[in-house]
Amino acid sequence: MATPIIMPKFGQMTEESAIVEWLKKEGDRVEKGDILFSVETDKSVMEVESFEAGTLLKIVVPPGVNVPVQSTVGFLGNPGEAIPAVTAPAPAPASAPSMPETSRTAPPAVAAPKAPAPRAAEPAFSVATPPVAAPAAAASPAPALFRISPRAATLARNSVIDPTRIKGSGPFGRVVEKDVRAYLYKHGYAQLRITPSAKEKAAKEKLDLLTLAGTGDGGRITMADVDRALAERPRTMNKMRQIIAQRLTQSVVTAPHFFVTVEVDMTELVRLRAQLKEKGAPFTVTDFIAEAAVLTLKEFPDVNSTTDGKTVRWHSHVHLGVAVSLDQGLVVPVIRHADELTLAELNAQAKDLAERARAGKLPPDEMSGSTFTISNMGMLDVENFTAIINPGESAILAVSSTVKKPVVRDEKVVVRSIMKLTLSSDHRIIDGAMAAKFANAIKQKLEDIELWKRLTS
Amino acid sequence: METFDVIVIGAGPGGYPAAIRAAQLGARVAIVEKEKLGGTCLNWGCIPTKALIGAAETFEKIKHAGKLGIIVTGASVDYAAMSGHKNGVVQQLREGIDSLLKANGVTQFAGMASFVDRTTLEVNGTRLGAKKIIIATGSTSAMPGFLPKHPRVVESRAFLDLQKLPATLIVLGGGFIGCELACMAAMLGVKVTVVELLEDILLALDADVRREVRAHMEKNLGIRVLTGKGLDKISADDKAARGQVGDETLTADILLCAIGRKPVTDGLKLENAGLKTNERGYIETDDYGRTKVATIFAIGDVTGKIQLAHYATAQGLTAAENAVQPKPHRHDTIVPNVIFTAPEIGTVGLSEADAKKQNRTVKTGKFRFAGLGKALAVGETAGFVKWIADAATDQLLGAAVVGPHATDLIAEAAAAIRAELTVAELGRTIHAHPTFSESWMEAAHAVHGECVHAPPKRK
Repeated sequence: MATPIIMPKFGQMTEESAIVEWLKKEGDRVEKGDILFSVETDKSVMEVESFEAGTLLKIVVPPGVNVPVQSTVGFLGNPGEAIPAVTAPAPAPASAPSMPETSRTAPPAVAAPKAPAPRAAEPAFSVATPPVAAPAAAASPAPALFRISPRAATLARNSVIDPTRIKGSGPFGRVVEKDVRAYLYKHGYAQLRITPSAKEKAAKEKLDLLTLAGTGDGGRITMADVDRALAERPRTMNKMRQIIAQRLTQSVVTAPHFFVTVEVDMTELVRLRAQLKEKGAPFTVTDFIAEAAVLTLKEFPDVNSTTDGKTVRWHSHVHLGVAVSLDQGLVVPVIRHADELTLAELNAQAKDLAERARAGKLPPDEMSGSTFTISNMGMLDVENFTAIINPGESAILAVSSTVKKPVVRDEKVVVRSIMKLTLSSDHRIIDGAMAAKFANAIKQKLEDIELWKRLTS
Repeated sequence: METFDVIVIGAGPGGYPAAIRAAQLGARVAIVEKEKLGGTCLNWGCIPTKALIGAAETFEKIKHAGKLGIIVTGASVDYAAMSGHKNGVVQQLREGIDSLLKANGVTQFAGMASFVDRTTLEVNGTRLGAKKIIIATGSTSAMPGFLPKHPRVVESRAFLDLQKLPATLIVLGGGFIGCELACMAAMLGVKVTVVELLEDILLALDADVRREVRAHMEKNLGIRVLTGKGLDKISADDKAARGQVGDETLTADILLCAIGRKPVTDGLKLENAGLKTNERGYIETDDYGRTKVATIFAIGDVTGKIQLAHYATAQGLTAAENAVQPKPHRHDTIVPNVIFTAPEIGTVGLSEADAKKQNRTVKTGKFRFAGLGKALAVGETAGFVKWIADAATDQLLGAAVVGPHATDLIAEAAAAIRAELTVAELGRTIHAHPTFSESWMEAAHAVHGECVHAPPKRK
């Protein structure tokens, strides 16, 4: 019998995933280790290899549909082999509580082909991917059912307008043909002028003609106007951006942020790094700052803590998050047990994580669980900036560019390499005095060149 | 100092309509022309070449009239008389422009204009003030320095002034000017060789259109077309003009250089107005015809966009309206292109190749004149029409026609594309029978595989 292909579970937190792209077609020969498809999880896009050789007999889940992990997404086997009758797994609903228990607990979905799949009769692709399921968010009340008569729907479709804007006069607010006609009349539909190609495209793209502004002769809607409306149409953000939006908003709303900035004289450390680099040592400025932060966190346990507003939990280890910017967003790989690593080990881990993050090869488990985060925008030529605390942490360090500046030393103006560090703190745990001491403790370490000579020797 | 609302520099096909439109809108207008009213188009371009090509086509038809049952013997060409006809036409049209300018109250100045500052020009030592200035100085044939200065080596303007046709002709450059004059000369019995450095003649056109024209030029007109090679070691003396293509030496009575045109800005003193030309020598403008200086407009060939008379006219009318009226508008962008080769060519909108480059799903529909009743009846069956459409929206994106009356037939396609019609609508438009224009309808049907007068495509 054909072997089911299962949507794997990436990390502890992932409950649902969507296939981005099938890299094999139905009927394609698959070798063990070949990449079958790529999957978008909450945090990244991962490639999924085949554990067996065979022919891809059937694709059950098309790209773009969110399904629970462990669902069957396709079948592998010998050509002509029977495929068990299985309906596409129900797309993951917006809120977890309504998820049918069977499809979550059942071992490979095939084993329970009779698992009730609500709405399975509808083609899977017609169900839009729900917005990111915020586990904490209360299930929103279902939107009122939109009712429209077939004749009204046809008229609206032929007129290329959006009937959901119409208030229905039928029973339960049902929109009937008369309502559409009144709506068209009220909005001057008869005066609307549009080129045939523009109308064709607007219909295809499901635009509402009444929302388009015409710039052609006498206000006629042209192809250019349709294209402009399409370009301005809201687009669904990718999963990563949605997660960023959700998590950072949550952080700003729940954690009262305040900011403390210190100037660090990096002149000596920059010089030392240059000397080390000539000798082939790979240390980066970020490594030094990370090490200084880890050492300082051991001195300030409150900064390496988490609060829910009622309790405070101290973390005995430092799991250091280092923000890495990607083309389509931002990820925070985590250096685990950073407090147990030497500077050289820290450097090696940071480099490995950043490279894999940029290549999109980092599993979610390596991007969660940090206790403190550093965000370095030094390479982006910024004077100073503030960062938003990663939810679950109590502070984040924003590292700005190192710039040559005139400063006063021994009553004389001299040129030094200056870098600003801004600590964002959660005021629920950390008060101003502690933040100031913490920031200055990092500054003092970075300016203590003997410390770095010891650590790098 | 005399002052005007608008002064137009150059009275070519862009400049004089601009002056007349500005005057129609109530402006006080002057126009400055250093040579002749009508510019290159009327005096040394579109019109005189069409006078000669029209005559040449008539001669060609007479030569082949036998198949229609007309016996003509002893037909011959009196080139001097042909040239006289051409000069008469040019003269008549030039006088027409003069009277139109006068009737609209446009003041004419003969001479070179140069900028004194942004709102002042100097013509023959006299200063003229203007609120708005429109530069319409056009272009001239590019004659590279390596060509010998000899009466046997000419560009298109001097070629049209020849009193006698050469027996043999080398045309350097397979662009539309070179190909038009090559076809004209060949129809009148000249032995013509076209030399083009690029891989094909008329390279901006789709390959199927080029193939059709080139085949006709080579097979029916006996023109030698040499492509992918340059013409080297060019020389000329009292006996002949010579050049070398690969290992072969070409010899001819006349060498016509038609390798492109360059903008005319010499003597304008643009720097006094704070204007500069770009690295290719053109004056850059926005979609409204404005240069970098808000009160100075530029139109036509000197802007380096599309070098066609009717595009210059469209730009000129828009610039004049924008110079005089408060609310500016953009000029149109659907520009038909016509080439008077044998057979003629007309294109408009996107070519098939360009449409494909735009990442669209492109569908085409072609109909050959050989399948058209009218074409067979009058014995003009070479060529085809082609629609280029967007498969997703059915929008007509472009059209090309090569064959009889192509330059007139393209007008329908231009109107349809500008109106953003769909293939289906064009196909439902009733076209008169029997006419050449029916081919547009047939080709539209062909886009959807529903052409009545062509066998179904094998799937």
